[in-house]
Parts: sequence; C-alpha cells; structure tokens
Amino acid sequence: MIVNIIQDTGILTAVSTILGILLVIAQRWLSNYGDIKININGKRDIVVKGGDTLLSSLAEKQIYLPSACGGRGTCGACKCKVSEGGGPVLPTERPMLSKAELADDIRLSCQVKVKNEISITIPNDIFNIRKYRSKITEIIDYTYDIKGITFQLLDGDTIEFLAGQYVQLNTKSYGKVRQSVSRAYSVSSGPEHKDHIQLIIRLVPEGICTTWVHNHLKVGDEVEFTGPYGDFYLRDTDADVIFVAGGSGKAPIKSMLEHLQVTGCDRKMTYFFGAKALRDLYLTDEMRAFEKVFPNFKYEPVLSHPEPDDVWDGKKGFIMPYFKDAIRDANNTEAYLCGSPGMINAVTKSLKELGVPEEKIYYDSFG
Amino acid sequence: MGITPFVLFWAAIFTSNILLTNFLGMCSYLSVSKEVESSAGLGIAVTFVLTATAGLNWLVYKYILVPFHIEYLQFIVFIIVIAAFVQLLELIIERYVPALYYSLGIFLPLITVNCAIFGVSLFLVIRNYSFLQSIAFGAGSGIGWLLAILMLAGIRNRLKEKLVPAGLRGAGISLVITGIMALAFIGFSGIQAVQ
Amino acid sequence: MAKMRPGVITLNGFLGDDRRNLFDIIQDDELSLERLGKTTKEIADRMNYFSKASWESFGEEIMVDEHYLVSTDVVRGKLPCPFGHPGIYRKAITTLTNTKNNISIRWTSLNIHLIEAHGFFEGKGSTFRLDPHTLCEAIF
Repeated sequence: MIVNIIQDTGILTAVSTILGILLVIAQRWLSNYGDIKININGKRDIVVKGGDTLLSSLAEKQIYLPSACGGRGTCGACKCKVSEGGGPVLPTERPMLSKAELADDIRLSCQVKVKNEISITIPNDIFNIRKYRSKITEIIDYTYDIKGITFQLLDGDTIEFLAGQYVQLNTKSYGKVRQSVSRAYSVSSGPEHKDHIQLIIRLVPEGICTTWVHNHLKVGDEVEFTGPYGDFYLRDTDADVIFVAGGSGKAPIKSMLEHLQVTGCDRKMTYFFGAKALRDLYLTDEMRAFEKVFPNFKYEPVLSHPEPDDVWDGKKGFIMPYFKDAIRDANNTEAYLCGSPGMINAVTKSLKELGVPEEKIYYDSFG
Repeated sequence: MGITPFVLFWAAIFTSNILLTNFLGMCSYLSVSKEVESSAGLGIAVTFVLTATAGLNWLVYKYILVPFHIEYLQFIVFIIVIAAFVQLLELIIERYVPALYYSLGIFLPLITVNCAIFGVSLFLVIRNYSFLQSIAFGAGSGIGWLLAILMLAGIRNRLKEKLVPAGLRGAGISLVITGIMALAFIGFSGIQAVQ
Repeated sequence: MAKMRPGVITLNGFLGDDRRNLFDIIQDDELSLERLGKTTKEIADRMNYFSKASWESFGEEIMVDEHYLVSTDVVRGKLPCPFGHPGIYRKAITTLTNTKNNISIRWTSLNIHLIEAHGFFEGKGSTFRLDPHTLCEAIF
C-alpha cells in the first residue's frame, strides 16, 4: 500500500517535472534571440541582447530616449523612427501614432521588441542625455510646500545643459511604494555649475515622487536622474524679455537668470511671479539681488488673494494687466512662460493682444 | 460509444453544449460577455485550447495514467497538462505572432482555470472516447462555448439595463438569460443524445 | 488590479481600504447613480464644464453660475489610466464649493476619465474617491 502510494506519487512528480523542464526549455529557446545589432542614424552600431524592448535595449547602452510612463505604452514620449527590422506595428502602438507618423516609420520604442537587426534614427541631442548618480547636499524649505534640493554629482561627473531644461528624477521604493517612478523637474541652478544641479520641487497631493522628496529624502541620500531634456531655453538675441512663472515654475527662470549673470546681459527683462498670498513668495531676496546685478531687470511679484493679515503693498490681482507697462516695443519682445496650460493660454492671449509675436512666446507647459 | 467523430462534433455544439447543457465554464463567460469583441477573442482561444488539450490528455491518459495504474490521479495530471499547454501556447504566440499576443494575450492565462477545459478532459475519460472522438468533442465543445458567449454578449449589448430590476442587474440577469438559452437548446436534444 | 495599488500610479492607489472586488465597487456605484437618476456622461460633462471654466484662472477661485466657487491647479506630468489602455491624463486638480449647500469636493482629470469611460469612482477610503451622492449634490 505504502509502496503503491510512493510509486504513484513518484510518477506524478515525474510527469510534472518533465512538463516543467519542457516549459523551461521552450522559454529559453523561444525567448532567446541571441545578440542583435542596432544601427543608429546610419553611423553607429551597437550590439544588444535580443528580446527586450528597443527602449530598454538602448538604455542598457546609455542611450536614453525620453519616457514619461516607464515603458508602459501610455505616454508616447519614446517615439523614434525605425527604418528596418521593427516588425509589424502592434495594437498597443497604434493609438499613439498618427497616420503621418506611421507612414514615416515612427514607432513606440517601448513596444517594439528587438528580435532581428534593426535600424533606427534618433535626434542627435539624445546622445547628450545620460544617467547621473548624485548625492543630496542641501535641502532648503522655501515655502510650506516647496523645497529646493541640491544634487551633487558623484564619480567626478559633470553635466552640460541649457538653462531652462529639465531632468527626470528616479525615485526609490519607500513605504507602500514598491516600484521606482520617474518624474520631470526643471533645473533651477545655472548651467555654469557643471558638478551639481538644484531642483525646486512642490509637494503634490498623492504624488509618488514629491511625497518621497518631501518626506523621505535627507542630506547625504543618493539619487539617480537622467537628462537634460527639453527645448525651453533662453534665445540669444537682444530682444526685451518677459518671464512669467509662478510656484515651482520659478526654477527654469532662476536657472536662466543665474546663467545671464555669468555671461552678462543688458536686455530689458521683467519677471512676473504670480502667487496667491504672502506665504507663497520665496527667493524674493535673490530676485531683488538680480535687480541690482542687471542694469534693466525688474522682479514683479503679484498677489491675487493676500490673506487678511498679510502685510503687502505690492501689486495685487492678476498679472496680465501689468504687462503693458513692461512692454516698450512689442515686436522686439520675447516671452518665456512656465506653468500650467491654462495659465499659458491666458498669458499668451494677453501678450498677443499687446502685439507680441506668437513665435517669440516660448513656453514650458506643465500639462 | 459508437458515435462517429463527425456527429460528435455537432452534438457537442448543440445537443450537449458544454456551457448551456453542462453549465461549465461560467466564470469567464459571465465576466467577459460584456463586450462582443473580447468574447469572440476569448471564445476562439478557448476552442483552440480545448481541442489541443482534449487530444493531449487522451494521450496522457492512455499512455501514462493507465499503464501505471494511476487513473485516480487524472484530476491533478490533467490540470497540470492544461496549465503547461496554455503557458507554452502563450510563449509561442508571443514569439511568432506578437500582434495576436497583444490582442488575445491577457485571455490566455484566464483559460487555464476555465472549468469547461477540465470538464471536457474528464468527460472523454468517463465516456471512453477514442482519440478522434476526443478531438472532435474538444473542438465541438469549444465552438459551442464560443457560440454561447457570443450570444450572451450580443444580448447584453442590446439589453437596456435600466429596465432590469436593481437586484438582478449584472450577473443575475445574465444567469437568467443563460437559463433561457439553455431551455431553447433543449429543443435540439431530440437530434442525437450523447449523454 | 495591479495598477490600482498604492505606489504604482499614485501614492495611495485607487482602492483606498475598500475590501470589495473592483467590479463590485463599480456596480455599487452604478446602482447609486441609477437611484440618483444621473448617467456617468452627465456627471463627467458637468465636471468638465467646471474644470474648463476655471482652467485659465491661474489656480484662483472663480465664481461660476453664481453659486459655485471653482479653482483648478495643474502640476507637471501626466498619468496613465489604471485600467491599462493607452492614453495619459494631465494632473489637473479642480476644487469646487457649492455655496448653496456648502459642500466642497475635489477631483482630477483622471477622475473625470475614470467616471466617464469606466464608471469608476475609486474605492472607499481612497484620497480622491468621489462618492456619487456627495458629488451630485455638489455639482448639480
């Protein structure tokens, strides 16, 4: 009886084991694509292990295509031109690609799997995007919900970027959060400092990254980020400038001003900082200091809803009525806006009505 | 049994429908029948798996379970075979037909726990089917299941949920509809009895 | 659903401390809607109406239709839908106070999509859960 049980159990185990082994072999064989060559821009060849997505294969070789959703196929930021070898367009890609893009062989690199030789074309400035390891050296509480964090690059690394660009910060798991996410923040320090960057980060309700930054990060912690990204930067002309940015949008403007402080600038510049109440103002002293550094720079904080006990005799209400006093020649005025799409819409409309040409209005839209 | 595989195939669809006569495979049937397209996708996948596992399990029964006298372990062994097959199928589809994998992919793991699949394997043992009869029975059952889920999806699509009493909405009314469909299918039973 | 858990898309996830199955949550809220006599489309359209009205107001409160105080704040970035289909939604948070009954309620662009496309009002205890009764009383 016992012998029977042992024998039968043995056969059952044998059957299961054989099936298990078959599956493992099948998995290895079917999922193994060997080494695959990727040709980039017709110039450079890299060799990667086949089977992964194009996005992650490139990232393995330190080529970082932008991605806001971490490769889930929902943001469309990782588009790139795949001239050969991409296979058929997948149903997960179609909703993100327009007819024109499909005709031009544009694909979602986070969905294309590298299974055979593939040729891609990517913009040259992608090569400037790198992953950086850094250590936090300073955390400043600017307001009740905004912190300024300084990240010192490790390994003697340096970063090249334009004032106005942003980086993607990678969070680490903490508390209930088991996965890493990546979120974009504009660099608030000037590009002349190549060994560190500062980010201005506002706490967002339910935000995975901002909660991590505000509640869990300490000086000395190591953080990873990739960058620089973005095409929001100061144009090198002699036109007058109007900056509009509130809240954490001050970051790219601060970066631009610090950069101009080094290069010198005698353009007429006005920075409108729209805020609700006194407690939302920060870095006011630094901005006032810029007024002394530049021959023609004015910092204009405007409070829309000062609290009853706020002591404020500066400008009140919305910022738009104050534009016309800052514009002397609308045709020779550039505007740099950083903030929510609604604010950018409203401000752009107002500036256009005052005669500022649309192509001279540059913006970094949050949404 | 002396029924030809060809007749068995048709019988499995109409007179002995795995879902409407035997009420097997109800869970995914009830939840996926909200949309016609996903129902069709799942139904086709189920048909394929049913046909293949009916054949596979017949072979396993005849050449492994019987010679070693472990027929009583058929419950465990059949499930293991079904799970392994579905897993293998997923790997193959992912490699060779990625577009199909993405549209069907999520349904494949769901199929492993579909009791209709397991039920068919058990039936072919109980009724002593031959290899060809098993394949025909598996294919017919799959198509019968596909038919049932498509019909329910179509009906649910047109059903104005507002007219259904609050307590019956969702699963309740679906089961009632399924019952009515089963009653209708009894009308076929005079054609050829297989159980 | 995996994407609804804390730390995947948002800090605390979409299910709060609700022990019910996702489908049950949606069905129960669907029943509430039937009793209230409103469809998900009507609710989503009304929420969009308020969000759009306060879109260009710089995060300031404006009075809409004489007794709704609305403001919309936008932060950088976009979120995918936890139901896993393509498409991303901006992080716009609209806060509305109905001055007639003093009910205050807050929603995001993703909430509007979840209600309109999936009939999902989030689980009980979730930070951005919208109870259908409270929501309808506030916005209608």
